[in-house]
Amino acid sequence: MTEPVLEMRGVSKSFGATEALRDVSLRLFPGEIHALVGENGAGKSTLIKAMTGIHQPSAGAILIDGCEVQFRDTGAAQRAGVAAIYQEPMVFPDLSVAENIFISHRDRPRLIDWKAMNDEAEAIIARLGVAIDPRRQAGELTLAEQQSVEIARAISLKVRVLIMDEPSASLSDHEVQRLFGIARALRDEGVAVLYISHRLEEIFALSDRVSVMRDGRHISTRPTAETTQAGLIAEMVGRDMAGRFARMPGQARDEVTLRVTGLSREGAFRDVSFAVRAGEIVCLSGLVGARRTDVALALFGIAPADAGRIELAGQAVAIASPKDAMRLGIAYVSEDRRRMGLALGESIAANITLPALDRYTRAFGWIDRLRELADAADFRRKLNIKAASLTAPAGTLSGGNQQKVMLAKWLNMGPKVLIVDEPTRGIDIGAKAEVHALLRALAGQGVAILVISSDLPEVLSLADRVLVMREGRLAGEFPGETATDEAVMRVAVGAV
Amino acid sequence: MFDRIPAQTLRILILLAVFAAVVLFFSAVIEGYLNARLFNRISTSVAIVAMIAVGQAFVVLTRNIDLSVGSVVGCVAYFVGGLLAAWPGMPPVLVVALAVLIGAGFGAVNGLFVARFGLPSIIVTLATLAIFRSVLVESSDGSSITTDRLPAWVPGFAQANAAEIGGLQLRWMVVVALAVVILAHVFLTRFRAGRQFFAIGSNPDAAKFAGIDGARTVFWAFVLSGALAGLAGFMFLSRFGNITVVAGLGFELKSVGAVVVGGVNIFGGSGNVIGVLIGAALIDLIDTSLVRWELVSEFWREAVLGLLILAAVVADTLLSRRLMARRRRMAARQGTVGAEKRA
Repeated sequence: MTEPVLEMRGVSKSFGATEALRDVSLRLFPGEIHALVGENGAGKSTLIKAMTGIHQPSAGAILIDGCEVQFRDTGAAQRAGVAAIYQEPMVFPDLSVAENIFISHRDRPRLIDWKAMNDEAEAIIARLGVAIDPRRQAGELTLAEQQSVEIARAISLKVRVLIMDEPSASLSDHEVQRLFGIARALRDEGVAVLYISHRLEEIFALSDRVSVMRDGRHISTRPTAETTQAGLIAEMVGRDMAGRFARMPGQARDEVTLRVTGLSREGAFRDVSFAVRAGEIVCLSGLVGARRTDVALALFGIAPADAGRIELAGQAVAIASPKDAMRLGIAYVSEDRRRMGLALGESIAANITLPALDRYTRAFGWIDRLRELADAADFRRKLNIKAASLTAPAGTLSGGNQQKVMLAKWLNMGPKVLIVDEPTRGIDIGAKAEVHALLRALAGQGVAILVISSDLPEVLSLADRVLVMREGRLAGEFPGETATDEAVMRVAVGAV
Repeated sequence: MFDRIPAQTLRILILLAVFAAVVLFFSAVIEGYLNARLFNRISTSVAIVAMIAVGQAFVVLTRNIDLSVGSVVGCVAYFVGGLLAAWPGMPPVLVVALAVLIGAGFGAVNGLFVARFGLPSIIVTLATLAIFRSVLVESSDGSSITTDRLPAWVPGFAQANAAEIGGLQLRWMVVVALAVVILAHVFLTRFRAGRQFFAIGSNPDAAKFAGIDGARTVFWAFVLSGALAGLAGFMFLSRFGNITVVAGLGFELKSVGAVVVGGVNIFGGSGNVIGVLIGAALIDLIDTSLVRWELVSEFWREAVLGLLILAAVVADTLLSRRLMARRRRMAARQGTVGAEKRA
């Protein structure tokens, strides 16, 4: 091969205390399709953002044609020939297709010649082998068409490095094939295509070389022909055992608390069936986009399922809203602490008592603050929440303690089923161990617990049973004692 | 048939139809309604509102709002009037330039807070609405500008005709306003820089990813809104001559009304200043006509304006939802036909 068109040399990026990228070096050559794989949180997204000027590296260098460059913003990266398309297309719904394609061009005349622009747009779109009227509004297009418009924009910018971030995630098979055709055509014209996907079969069908990232580091780069799915998976999950938590014996009882049969929601997940027994911890594993959270949202009534059956302790129930779910004793601890979890400006005590507010309300809606504080103090002790004052805003706590407040809030409701979504994301290792111990203690009290986690070591140490989801379906199930990283990952990526 | 007409054009046609219907209605209920005086009166008053509304449209396109325009009009009218009273010999070009510059300065203050510091425009401009007005009240010390203190060319400008056909007078200020509308229209539809205002409002994230400097675009939208409010302030001075501390009160409501009635999406991203001009004319027409209609108390005028804004937003939302759904259905049908052909 010739000179690399883009080179990342020892690039690191940290956000506060978290190191998202550590000393990553990667070279992209003209005329190659370079696949990038890794678990959730391996640093792929951060790497792309550094390449396209959304983030600036904390250390290391980006080189284009061997010359060091600094991308202040995406515009600068585009002028150097680096562009990206994403799973969710970034189009301007109110603007026409042609405008969407040419919006970021700076070398065009200031005065727009609409006819010429439409003609040029038509020609570029035709090169992609699709038919879209350049005069249509982008908001009217299908997702696949919007993606084509994005690719057309990249081509029109005389792109030399095209990054495709999970481009196939929301496409039909037919559309994926067309996308592959486009990627190959671009490669043959000398473009370097960086293709990020969770679907290993796509990687092997499409790419010339493949790089693996794990925990913010670059692990390997080799020709795709010289690798196997098993080899890639081993590199994606391979960890030293030191960071692992010890497993505890299961506490599952005989009675089934939650049973889900054939649960489906159009466009999200299909035919999901499983059961959680009292005192059992079931972990729902899978990659981003496997629709695990959608199942949780259906069980909690935020986005109810449109087919299937939910049984609680043998009784069929209908859950149409969070209110229904809470009445039935289902609690959901969201993965998004800031948006869906805590009222950060409210006091810690008020947050803890919120779902069970009825218990603290006297005549005329008067809230019994003393009782609220007493109960909150009880939880602070039990969960070891490190807070100077229970009347301080929840936003003043550290991430780990916020997570504990979230748990306290739902425990205060006395749930029979507890669904926790990414319970330890972004919290330190000590707090993580405490949260795990807390979940085990709850299981010991007979609560049925469903944990959604992308953190495989966590899943393996916590789960009595592991369910694996892929593309909206349950793809596999393992007993907690015998599950391994590689086995779970193999099902999650759909390896054969 | 309607599917072939772009949504924007359809909107303007509907607006024109409503405008014609309103004229017909009032000429039926008010005796001697349609005459040259009505045209002269409404056209001069629309000239001022339309200019402010065009500036407002730029701001609304970017998903923001400028509530301070009324105070800017008042401030500029008062300050420029004061300068003219002190130095009556100032050349007219300098006077107009000063009005625009002072207005742009006010706009830059708004733009700085919204674009640079990322504060919500509704709060920033609500604050500056009050602050600019207080600046005016404080610096005027309660005294007013009166016509007799102004050089004769100032009130003269508002009366000057560019053309006259059988009593219908085309005032110079109307010509200026029309020129502003046409320039803004050409800029917004034909210039790359103009399309950026649409892009920012249509999808701010995509704009960032496309390398568009959102903060700068929003800043200039506010500067433009301020500058046009400044120009309107000079026209206001010229038309009324007597300027008190309440000058320009309520223009924020009228300009936002014109923008919304004129079909600019209040959530940004789409719109057309020709529509805004018609929206401004429609609002002023109804406002002026209600004064002459004995059946309706004058105090209902504001309420009617409010109702009109609500009606426009409701109609617009329903219309565009229908249109979008219908076109999507058609596209889907074409898509399946195409797929069958391929298979």
